[in-house]
Amino acid sequence: MLRVHEFSIAEALAAQVQRHAPAAGRVTEVDITVGALRGLEPEALRMSWEAVTHGTPIAGATLNVDLRPWTITCSTCGRTWPSPVPFVACECGDPSPVPTAGDELDLVALTIEEES
Amino acid sequence: MAEAAQTTRIPLVERVLEANDEVAAANRAELQRRGIFSIDLIGAPGSGKTALLEATLRALEGRRHPAVLVGDLATRRDGDRLARWCDKVIQISTGQGCHLEASQVRDALAQIELGQVDLLFIENVGNLICPVGFDLGQSAKVGLFSLTEGDDKAAKHPYLVEAADLILLNKIDLMPHLSFDRRSFEADVRLLNPRVPILDVSATTGEGLDAWIAWLDR
Ligand SMILES: Nc1nc2c(ncn2[C@@H]2O[C@H](COP(=O)(O)OP(=O)(O)O)[C@@H](O)[C@H]2O)c(=O)[nH]1
Ligand SMILES: [Mg+2]
Ligand SMILES: [Zn+2]
Ligand SMILES: [Zn+2]
Repeated sequence: MLRVHEFSIAEALAAQVQRHAPAAGRVTEVDITVGALRGLEPEALRMSWEAVTHGTPIAGATLNVDLRPWTITCSTCGRTWPSPVPFVACECGDPSPVPTAGDELDLVALTIEEES
Repeated sequence: MAEAAQTTRIPLVERVLEANDEVAAANRAELQRRGIFSIDLIGAPGSGKTALLEATLRALEGRRHPAVLVGDLATRRDGDRLARWCDKVIQISTGQGCHLEASQVRDALAQIELGQVDLLFIENVGNLICPVGFDLGQSAKVGLFSLTEGDDKAAKHPYLVEAADLILLNKIDLMPHLSFDRRSFEADVRLLNPRVPILDVSATTGEGLDAWIAWLDR
């Protein structure tokens, strides 16, 4: 069976988090932002994350997925707004404003718990 | 007394596919240094990626010096088809992987004598989503759609459409038999990528291949 494509993203992310994780302490949360353009399912990402981190030093870390909508910019009136879909007309009448953001796939924060 | 656990939030700003992107950058530098124009061909299974490359290799025979990398899940069939037209074909078996990664391209390139090569085709795994996010180091991404998939596929795969340097619409020979709305397909493409060239082709009849070859030669 073909793996869901979220799986390889989760694999890359797990390797990246392990590189950043300090030797002393436990990673409890991992925050990522995902643009809508990437076509990634947050739920599939979280399930893949659990599978790839299982049995590793970062097992149990919660994956927080901040799903970013398309940001649409209208070249006619200059308006910029978030939209759940890429194909929308602008209220100024321009039928085809273009998405200008929504392709992010970034690791933005780690939360580390240290015994003191 | 229980030990107090101290939590710290470490802000980072890093691309998740950074490791892949670094290898891709090295591939790109190496290909550029050698003057090799390279294409990452992305399209659904059955859209005609291999057929298009067969027709392309035939058309370029004796004039250009291409090499081909073919990503496929398990079989060697596509590589064998292409090897009839080109002596530098490397099959990359991805197993369960649904896309090619830059390290696989790097390793495949190491198996080819690149001295004479001036053109590199990479047939990605049949998939319209995740291959787009994995940079391979190519000069250009080509999105291949086909008439049999329906005219809504561009709208449903905005990431590929947005990232493509060229859109090919294959199986144009089937137009008389299908209710494919060519204008609606193009309108969807234009919403995401206003200037990308769209070329209608048929790998089977050769229709439209001249324009594609001219684009490669440019
Ligand atoms: N009618 C028609 N069939 C095509 C064309 N290009 C490919 N095909 C057929 O589509 C099927 C899939 O082609 P293939 O090259 O294996 O697709 P790939 O999975 O994208 O590599 C094969 O049966 C081809 O003969 C075309 O331009 N016209
Ligand atoms: Mg093929
Ligand atoms: Zn407007
Ligand atoms: Zn994939």
